[in-house]
Amino acid sequence: MADLLGQLEALAKGAREAVGSAADEKALEDLRVRFLGKKGELSAVLRGMGALPAEERPRVGEVANRVRDEVEALLAGAKSRLDARKLEAELAGPPIDVTLPGRRVLPRGHRHPITRATEDISAIFARLGYEVASGPEIELDWFNFEALNIPPDHPARDMQDTFYVEASTLGDGAPDGSVLLRTHTSPVQIRAMQRLGVPPVRIICPGRVYRSDYDQTHSPMFHQVEGLCVGEGITFADLKGTLAAFARAYFGEGTRTRFRPSYFPFVEPGAEVDVSCSICGGTGRIPVRAQGQAGEPAQTRRCGTCKETGWLEVLGAGMVHPKVLENGGFDPKRYSGFAFGMGVERMAMLRYGIDDLRLYFENDLRFLEQF
Amino acid sequence: MRISLKWLSEYVDLGSLAGGAQQGAPLAPAQPRSAAPVLAAADEVARRLTAVGFEVEAVERVGQGLAGVVAARILASEKHPNAEKLSVTKIDAGQGEPLQIVCGAKNYQVGDVVPLATVGTTLPGGTRIEKAKLRGVESFGMLCSARELGLSEDASGLLILDRGLAPGTPIADALGLEDVLLEVNVTPNRPDALSHVGLAREVAAILGQEVRLPRPALREAGAPAAEAVKVRIEAPEKCARYAARVVEGVKIGPSPQWLARRLEACGVRSISNVVDATNFALLELGHPLHAFDLDKVAGHEIVVRTARPGEKIVTLDGKERALEPDDLLIADRDRGSALAGVMGGGDSEISAGTTRVLVESAWFAPSGIRRTSRRHGLKTEASYRFERGADPGMVIPALDRCAALIAELAGGTVRPGIVDAHPRPHQAPAVRLRWRRPAELLGIDVARDEVRRILAGLGFEERASDADGATFGVPSWRVDVSLEEDLVEEIVRTKGYDAIPETLPANAVRTPVEPADAQVTARAREALEAAGFAEAVNFSFVAERDLAPFADPAATALRPIALKNPISADLAVMRTSLVPSLLRNASTNRRQRVEDVRLYEIARVYRPAPAGAPAPAAEEGELAGVLVGRRSPTGWAGGSDPVDFHDAKAAVAAVLEALGIDARWRARGGAWLHPRLSAEVLGADDAPLGEVGELHPRVAEAFELPRGVLAFRLSGAALVRGARLVPRYAGIPRFPAVLRDLAVVVAEGVEAGAVLAAVREEPLVEDATLFDVYRGPPIPAGKKNLALAIRYRAPDRTLTDTEADAAHARIVARLRGGLGAELRG
Ligand SMILES: [Zn+2]
Repeated sequence: MADLLGQLEALAKGAREAVGSAADEKALEDLRVRFLGKKGELSAVLRGMGALPAEERPRVGEVANRVRDEVEALLAGAKSRLDARKLEAELAGPPIDVTLPGRRVLPRGHRHPITRATEDISAIFARLGYEVASGPEIELDWFNFEALNIPPDHPARDMQDTFYVEASTLGDGAPDGSVLLRTHTSPVQIRAMQRLGVPPVRIICPGRVYRSDYDQTHSPMFHQVEGLCVGEGITFADLKGTLAAFARAYFGEGTRTRFRPSYFPFVEPGAEVDVSCSICGGTGRIPVRAQGQAGEPAQTRRCGTCKETGWLEVLGAGMVHPKVLENGGFDPKRYSGFAFGMGVERMAMLRYGIDDLRLYFENDLRFLEQF
Repeated sequence: MRISLKWLSEYVDLGSLAGGAQQGAPLAPAQPRSAAPVLAAADEVARRLTAVGFEVEAVERVGQGLAGVVAARILASEKHPNAEKLSVTKIDAGQGEPLQIVCGAKNYQVGDVVPLATVGTTLPGGTRIEKAKLRGVESFGMLCSARELGLSEDASGLLILDRGLAPGTPIADALGLEDVLLEVNVTPNRPDALSHVGLAREVAAILGQEVRLPRPALREAGAPAAEAVKVRIEAPEKCARYAARVVEGVKIGPSPQWLARRLEACGVRSISNVVDATNFALLELGHPLHAFDLDKVAGHEIVVRTARPGEKIVTLDGKERALEPDDLLIADRDRGSALAGVMGGGDSEISAGTTRVLVESAWFAPSGIRRTSRRHGLKTEASYRFERGADPGMVIPALDRCAALIAELAGGTVRPGIVDAHPRPHQAPAVRLRWRRPAELLGIDVARDEVRRILAGLGFEERASDADGATFGVPSWRVDVSLEEDLVEEIVRTKGYDAIPETLPANAVRTPVEPADAQVTARAREALEAAGFAEAVNFSFVAERDLAPFADPAATALRPIALKNPISADLAVMRTSLVPSLLRNASTNRRQRVEDVRLYEIARVYRPAPAGAPAPAAEEGELAGVLVGRRSPTGWAGGSDPVDFHDAKAAVAAVLEALGIDARWRARGGAWLHPRLSAEVLGADDAPLGEVGELHPRVAEAFELPRGVLAFRLSGAALVRGARLVPRYAGIPRFPAVLRDLAVVVAEGVEAGAVLAAVREEPLVEDATLFDVYRGPPIPAGKKNLALAIRYRAPDRTLTDTEADAAHARIVARLRGGLGAELRG
């Protein structure tokens, strides 16, 4: 027995030395096979146990187990030291080239600035309780003009150069009356009132509109957002509050609004609405900082966006004309309301700094990819 | 409307706006007077007018920077020795020695007095005058046109000055040239403000003043006018009043400088003293007037009548116009001599030999004037005002003013009396205002006293009042006021919108619901943008030829909906598909060297409406896309194969998946697509959803695109019908799956879809994915190898290998029997 115990002790000692000097995982694996493998040294010692008397076996078995545990622990410890060294070496290596571009399978998509602006505007009015309504773009003269208090032969028709539709191409199903491309989103006011039938009416209508005018600053197609609020006791003060809230939400806190009397046949009283210039903050001048100059800039230059007035004209608005309420089926003696309209291209221009109307419809990817 | 501030100041005292005193003066500033206080008021006038609804779009200061410009007499003029178009003049500029000036104008005579910009002057346009040598001849200054001095747009020749001006006199002082011109945007409802007096009325109301109307000094002599001419109105519904005066013994000639300059400053060309008098009265009072040569009026009779069938007239612009019975004529005994309220006719025009003038002042119904003006494409100062509504109360004052002016400018005498046909006297409307109405509409109380003060200041006359409200007579010039709301607008316009607070509406609110099509659109956008597409927005109208390949063969309409008055043939019909616009975009981008294009558009397409539809056309949504170029962005780490059918299909599939639509793909899309490389997309019950594929080579050619351009279009209505926007949860499998790969060789004509469908018929198959398609050795020609990964699973137990093997064997048998597939490997 003493012989076997001596062998085990020698095995443990040999393992301690050998494991301590093992240089890599491969050497560790070889040592595991040498000491603990089926044909290894421990197995060989244990085979000798058969010759021992029965009462001595537990004692040798106990030592053998202890030696096995020790060798396993030695191997595990060595493995974890080796792993740690390897990891350290890996972490200490030179960094990869992080400036290589990221790997892209698909390009990024882009949403058109007109859609973006429309969505932003709609979202603001949705928070104020406005529902999105829509109406035809190929529209009857009655909805586009007459119902909006613009009778035939009325000079206000000059304000909107109109595209008319060739009746013969409309088919037999078309209703009677002159047919045109809507010149504004306002006919949706009438259609929405007729559809809803009773107050409250709070709608906005974003959409395409058309005027036969095509040059640097006019596009034959452009986009408007129309708004309408009708109910009992609606006042001009409500219109002011609503548009002031909208202007702050769209152009930023601190934006001021200014109402000027103006004329749109379908409102009375009517107004044009200016907001304080978002570029120069309403001062009309933009500070110019000289190179390397600190502190307050001494010089300013003219703000081209508001032409130095500090104000931007962005909306038309007013109290719904009694005849328009009547044409929508609402009693103007009982109900009142306000309406407003804005050009989406202009709203997007101010938000994104776009300086040429034509860019919107050329669909040049070098433009679209900026959004 | 262009307004001269100096002219305006003759009718209203602007001094208080400039902080200085200002004298009003009658017509014709005979001697120069200081304009400084008036000019100093310019910005304030502009601000105040804008604040009451007359937006001043531009404030232009004229007559400044003319310090070095003096009156100069032309002593002699000779042809330039070396230049055909130039002259060499000798000039007396009051400096003793005559100056030599080279000049390009031709409109002067020796003896004329003209403006000379002396050496060292900088003209308003920025030109600096230097001593110069022009084609070898020295020139010591420049003779100027009105435009060069910034006085008007007239650049036709030298500005000819009064011969009485002493050479050397600085012309800015001598002529009182300094002025401020306001460009006022007068809205179509306010024709009464299309004149100096009209805007003076507004300014006076703002300042609490009375407007100073001109008081013509009319000296009548001779036999009554009624003996010289008769007036008869045959169409009283189109002409409510026609009044005429006769001025005899006039001598036609140029107008005095001050008058010509006033007209020109307001954009009206000076023609002759008599014609200028009518234009002056128009710009002053806003009422259009017309002067006829009475001796050319046949029968000395004016008949206001509609045109006869086939009747023609030659208007002052020299054009012969075929008339319609709706056109109103001013005729004499024999024929029409003017298109009433629009333009005179050549026959009765004032000419150099005219000695007897008939002055017309009338009131024509607006809608008729507008129709005639539009029908003949004739927009004049007169038609512009009549179609908006002239002031019936101004007919006689304007006539008197004009007749007096003619007598003053052209000599002659005004015959006593007015020949006045007045079948329909104007009834000034009265409008009732309830005291509570301003508060109801505006949200602020306006005291009754303030209401009365504001309305009185604007010429509204209170006729009756009680506890509830009052009735106000509308002044004759306010054709825009007929309702209570109109009076409320007058009140708030004067008070200013700043007086109104900001509140939010307190009415009930319906909970806004997002319509289904808006949700579908939003999802589709997200899917396409995630697939790398950029959104395009194109015009709704296109060239008709661009739509031809996209015509629906089943459609009954032969043509797309067309515009009567398109901008051009390229923008002439309403599109029936978005694809052609996107193809144009792809083509444009490629010309700009943008090679990789992925564009989509979601918009309406337009077709004739079915009978009984509520709108004139059927407008339905379409979603379309185009893609060409590389599959992935160029990079260091990937390939850059060109896109093909399956990239386009992936984009369409991404949209359908986002909308919860199961689709089937059937070979061969519409005629615009390559028949071999395209598919029809079908939804539930094989309802058509759209098409996808490579462009037909002929279509690609027509749109100047190379081969290999992919496109798709989906019907918005079909997507909305098929969409399942709310997902249904179906549980997570609780038992493990068994995975098996399968490789089969099938004939080229067998579609992968058919193989997958056959595999999925096996009930234990949970899912099957096609992961490889291989052609080439050792696979025989005309066949292909399809590799599939199949996942088997039972919902209620752990599947055994034996069960999975059995299922796999059933699939193999089915493929062999149904599709002639052979198992491989
Ligand atoms: Zn600004």
